[in-house]
Amino acid sequence: MKSIFNILTILSVVLSTTSGFSQIKNPQTETVKIFGNCELCKTPIENAGKIKNTASVAWNKDTQMAEVTFDSKKTNRDEILKRIALAGYDNDQFLAPDHAYAQLADCCKYERLNKAPAMVMEESKTEMKMPESKMEMTFPSSENHMDMAMPDTKMEMNMPNSENHTDMVMPETMEPNALNTVFNTYFAIKDALVKTNATSATAKAAELLNAIKALKVETLKTEQQATVTKVLPSIMDAAKKISETKDISKQRETFKSLSKNIHEIITFYNATETLYYQYCPMQDANWLSKDKTIKNPYYGSQMLSCGSNVETINTKN
Amino acid sequence: MKKIILVLLFLGALSLPAQNIVRYDLYVRDTLVNFTGKEKRAIAVNGQIPMPTLTFTEGDIAEIYVHNELEEETALHWHGLFLPNKEDGVPYLTQMPIPPHTVHKYTFPIVQHGTHWYHSHFGLQEQIGMYGSMILKKRPDDKTFRKGIDDLPTIPIVLSEWTDYNPENVHRMLHNASDWFAIKKGTTQSYAEAINSGNFKIKLHNEWKRMNAMDVSDVYYDKFLINGKSENEDTSLKGLKAGDKVRLRISNGGASSYFWLTYSGGKITVVANDGNDVEPVDVDRMLIAVSETYDVVVTIPADNTAFEFLATPEDRTKSASIYLGDGIKQLTSPLPKLKYFEGMEMMNGMMKMNGDLDQMGMNMSMQQMDMNVVMYPEITGSTENAMDSKMKMDTQEPSDPKMHHMKGMDEMKGMDEMKKTDGMDGMKMNEEMYNSNELSEITTLNYAMLKSPTMTTLPEDAPLKELHFTLTGNMNRYVWSLGNKVISESDKILIKKGEKVRITMYNNSMMRHPMHLHGHDFRLLNGQGDYAPLKNVVDIMPMETDVFEFEANAEGDWFFHCHILYHMMSGMGRVFSYEDSPPNPLIPNPELALKKLKGDDREFHLMAENNFATNGIEGQAMLGSTRWEIKTLWHLGYHAMHGYESETMVGRYFGKMQWLMPYVGFDYHYKIEGGPSNIFGDETNNWFGQKSNKNDRQAAVVGVAYTLPMLFIADMRVDSAGKFRFQLGREDIPVSQRLRMAMMINTDKEYMAGLRYILGKNVGVSTHYDSDMGVGFGVSLNY
Repeated sequence: MKSIFNILTILSVVLSTTSGFSQIKNPQTETVKIFGNCELCKTPIENAGKIKNTASVAWNKDTQMAEVTFDSKKTNRDEILKRIALAGYDNDQFLAPDHAYAQLADCCKYERLNKAPAMVMEESKTEMKMPESKMEMTFPSSENHMDMAMPDTKMEMNMPNSENHTDMVMPETMEPNALNTVFNTYFAIKDALVKTNATSATAKAAELLNAIKALKVETLKTEQQATVTKVLPSIMDAAKKISETKDISKQRETFKSLSKNIHEIITFYNATETLYYQYCPMQDANWLSKDKTIKNPYYGSQMLSCGSNVETINTKN
Repeated sequence: MKKIILVLLFLGALSLPAQNIVRYDLYVRDTLVNFTGKEKRAIAVNGQIPMPTLTFTEGDIAEIYVHNELEEETALHWHGLFLPNKEDGVPYLTQMPIPPHTVHKYTFPIVQHGTHWYHSHFGLQEQIGMYGSMILKKRPDDKTFRKGIDDLPTIPIVLSEWTDYNPENVHRMLHNASDWFAIKKGTTQSYAEAINSGNFKIKLHNEWKRMNAMDVSDVYYDKFLINGKSENEDTSLKGLKAGDKVRLRISNGGASSYFWLTYSGGKITVVANDGNDVEPVDVDRMLIAVSETYDVVVTIPADNTAFEFLATPEDRTKSASIYLGDGIKQLTSPLPKLKYFEGMEMMNGMMKMNGDLDQMGMNMSMQQMDMNVVMYPEITGSTENAMDSKMKMDTQEPSDPKMHHMKGMDEMKGMDEMKKTDGMDGMKMNEEMYNSNELSEITTLNYAMLKSPTMTTLPEDAPLKELHFTLTGNMNRYVWSLGNKVISESDKILIKKGEKVRITMYNNSMMRHPMHLHGHDFRLLNGQGDYAPLKNVVDIMPMETDVFEFEANAEGDWFFHCHILYHMMSGMGRVFSYEDSPPNPLIPNPELALKKLKGDDREFHLMAENNFATNGIEGQAMLGSTRWEIKTLWHLGYHAMHGYESETMVGRYFGKMQWLMPYVGFDYHYKIEGGPSNIFGDETNNWFGQKSNKNDRQAAVVGVAYTLPMLFIADMRVDSAGKFRFQLGREDIPVSQRLRMAMMINTDKEYMAGLRYILGKNVGVSTHYDSDMGVGFGVSLNY
């Protein structure tokens, strides 16, 4: 009998909490300033502050003032304002994390009057004021940018250039370092595999194939020719295989031998930075990286940090 | 003669002022607290939680009077301090517990400096308020005094957590593999959630390897606290201006929570660990293990602003903040939610079928390779925001450390946003945008980065004693041990004064463990050579091997244990005992004390559930300990034709994973004809053609239960009438967040399938079909 009574109580509790309209007990209302510029900000502000049956927010875009109503036994003004600030909106009590602010829609980017100037924070201001349009413009080339992001200013300048540009120009203009394209595209393939991006790996492998085809071994330094001639066919073969499949696991398999062969000639690379030869015990395979921190190309995000540095290569010459 | 006495008296008087006696009186009282809107019992000392901060200067003599005004016993441990063994505060090991309504005096010379803390070592009292900060200051004339660090204004910070559940109950629920905490945290990792997120195969693989849902912490907490509050404004330091530096002396007094520390004002400079100075190292964030202490220096970057210092527990369910400075509060980005299925996939890869972890030839150590990183959206987030990074590359000097920090935080927030808005699409897109070069932007502290400013080498000629421990554990039955032996199953480890003790630990369990050694600092061999940092807690992650060594320079019995309170109470520890130590005057009866000490992990935990259904009543009650289980279950129909049945058994678990349990027991079954018709036909005989005798069976049984892949339990038994029974069944298959399925079939032609929806910690509604009783609906209660 007791059990049936229990069922009924439980059911009634469940029903009463799930149905019905929001009703705030012990209500207390305060008016507070919440920064925001346009109608687009209204819903995010109000949703960030709202808790069903506990708190509600009504924000006015013209006055930038909000009426905050809450159950004074369950919550308080500051808890609500903190949630709103975490959503990106400065208010009387809290400043939003810079990054929440940076995520706001363009029209919502109010002037941060409450934020005191920091000693070393000038840069962050410029960052925030970056127009959205610029971000979109640069976005398509961002992938290229990542591959090329070396502390070399000349490279940085080339960033906005499209991929084909890099292809065409590099082998011709940079003849003394004809092998550099080979290495650069190798690192691009590696990065694509780290990102588990088969499409990008395919594209980069095709570039590598082109670079090898364009390579004239006789233009290389004499001491390099023999070694390069030896490994070039294997590299070409691997590049071809990777470029012909979209299956990431096949690409990763082929990448093992590619890495091994590239390692044979890595000392001919005119890199500005230190390189690392890294090892993945689970695949018993190596790869080369410009980054000491392990970013495993054989697993991607599944096991990104698995592996260790086995060799540090300084190619500065 | 008189002269000599006079001279002695004079000398005594002289030496007294040099030995400054510092006295504290601690009144331990029951109290009611209200962290969540409900009044709950807690323990306060001098009316406060955390306990008051005790401050001493190196060279002082501490006199601490503990006035136990509780109705129960207590004992206080001075964590990280070098002191005479009888002052160490471990009940039944270094003293008998302090009886109710008595006063106990602890006194010891302060022979070190640094940030330490103190807590109750009795039962589970630490969970409900008995933790506090203990600051030992350097003398101003100390050779190691560091200008710009040791003279900064300081704030003692104690991190902790609060649960409205009675900690005894928490402990019991953990032992019963209750998944209520997972439900509260939203980490059930049910099949429905797995399918919805495209991780069905991973979940299947996980259960195939006999693992339950994975998590980074065991207990659900209602609140996380900095100095006793979730939102804390520092009022101790007035008038902080831009450029001012503050030293935070942080102790993690949480019973089972690790905390991530982040700061909205920029980098965190780590200057000391476990009370020992380290070379300053700048990080964006750090994880403080249970019971560790860290001293950090932070800068206030702007005027009229209070900067948030955020402590986020490892499970990231909630957080606690303290604001440094005066003015409007500058927040920092919260840490994004963990990707549990990624973690599950990682565990699948690591776990061998026999329950061992597979190192795959990797040498993991010193927190450097963090497998959990697969769950951190801010690192492997897959949601790396290329737009963001691009933007920053254009506008920032990469060499500016401040901006590095900002960048890191930006990524975190960016990912969080992406995840929320894009869902599955977001995941894909994020992989595309994943930028490996940017990953290292967030600097996370690990042990390899800690370096002592002074040489810490031990005497070379000291005889070496080497010890090896494997940390073992089993989440399903919540058994935690060293080398698969709990405290009560092992002897004290004898060491000799003057020895150099080197310990190699390998963690073969699925959780990380903060292992703490009483009364000694050890050198953590982290690759810093002669400058290895001194610590008294080492956090060791699954699959890691850590080596540390210490000089045996004391007397008596010293506890070495996992500082996760519930792991320690389950028996994860050992006692190091100095050979030929003088008897401890506070332990008048060593045998009784040892028995009591071992009593902690010998405790039996009760679990019971009963389902009141329309077709009958069924349920079970179970008492479990580390190795033993006593269980009785019953099915009582409302009519004789639905049968009355009860099975009672006593079993012992074997093996590290405790998959095997032989048992003996007794069956009773009474039933008359006319129940629901059996789909397998006549019930008189079982599938082996033996007489089933359900109508009036009273039989002793002997059998063995074994947990199969997919967590099904195979149960083979034979009864005193010679009848065999083989049964296959599983309870609590997580169908969705709160829906559980059970199924069972055996060779007596009995079968059952049921669903239970969990409404609350102790209540559910259920429906099931049973070959004896037919269809039923009901309410199930569980304890």
